[in-house]
Amino acid sequence: MDSVIKAFIVYFVLWAIIRISGRRTLGEMSAFDFILFLIIGGSTQRAITGEDYSLTNALILVSTFVVIEIVLSLLDLGSPAMRRVFEGTPTVLVENGQPMPYRLRRARVTEDNVLETARRLHGLARMEQIRFAILESTGKISIIPESTPSAQDTGRG
Amino acid sequence: MDEFASRQYPVQEHMVFQRRTWIVQRIGWAILGAVCLAALTGLFGGGILSNRAVEGAAMTIEYERFERATRLAHFGFHFTSTENKERHLHLSRSFQDKFEITSIQPTPLRSVSTADGLGLIFAVAPSVPNQVTIWARPHGYGSVAVEAHADDNPPSNFRVFIYP
Repeated sequence: MDSVIKAFIVYFVLWAIIRISGRRTLGEMSAFDFILFLIIGGSTQRAITGEDYSLTNALILVSTFVVIEIVLSLLDLGSPAMRRVFEGTPTVLVENGQPMPYRLRRARVTEDNVLETARRLHGLARMEQIRFAILESTGKISIIPESTPSAQDTGRG
Repeated sequence: MDEFASRQYPVQEHMVFQRRTWIVQRIGWAILGAVCLAALTGLFGGGILSNRAVEGAAMTIEYERFERATRLAHFGFHFTSTENKERHLHLSRSFQDKFEITSIQPTPLRSVSTADGLGLIFAVAPSVPNQVTIWARPHGYGSVAVEAHADDNPPSNFRVFIYP
């Protein structure tokens, strides 16, 4: 019983902390961020398993996490409001070449971050060449170039 | 350009929700910062706020007010001098229920487990320091009231909170 409760608590506490840390943390992970996430995983893993390294406990934990994931995905499907809460919403950061300072500041994204993504994905050099820059709910920045008539969301970060 | 208005193109925005999310995030940062500060001060064990000493009739007990489950806890018992050849330290049942003793220094001559708790009998000699250290691992969580007394002296009481 303990294992299931611990798994629930750790899942939701981790989810809350990741959501609190903001999307920037998720989307643009550096090598150091990756190491940090490994450390977070290691710390929580010990808290969940404790001294019980049995196969049964591992199966209970894996089953609990998968069940939580399934239940949340079903809730997501049924309610757009729940989807917003659990996954967040996309936010436009640049519109018709004009950066939106309030949104950039709040999302902790700099104009340089946007330009870097524009260079990397589309070879664009100037802000005016960007029709839309969107911070996706995954934390990645999508760029729609000004010159493209039927602009498509690249979806890549 | 109204930054607060929701766009429908190229993506469906929910700016009211997004702005609330940003506010909640900032409150969350403050809470996480407060947790780190609290941990530094010892609110979760191992710091100024946690270290305690209680003076009794024949001994002083050093302990931590906040402990964490499975983290090794340290209890120091400093006794006043005695003419007896043996010293008896008694710990209440609640201690046995919540702590699993892993080490006692010096090693007691014998130990007696009773319905009231645990009795530890130590040798008294000039070469032996008037001090006993117990290392114990807390299990479970919540507040636990412990009563300890040396020989026939009045008991000393202290309370430890165990975090899960």
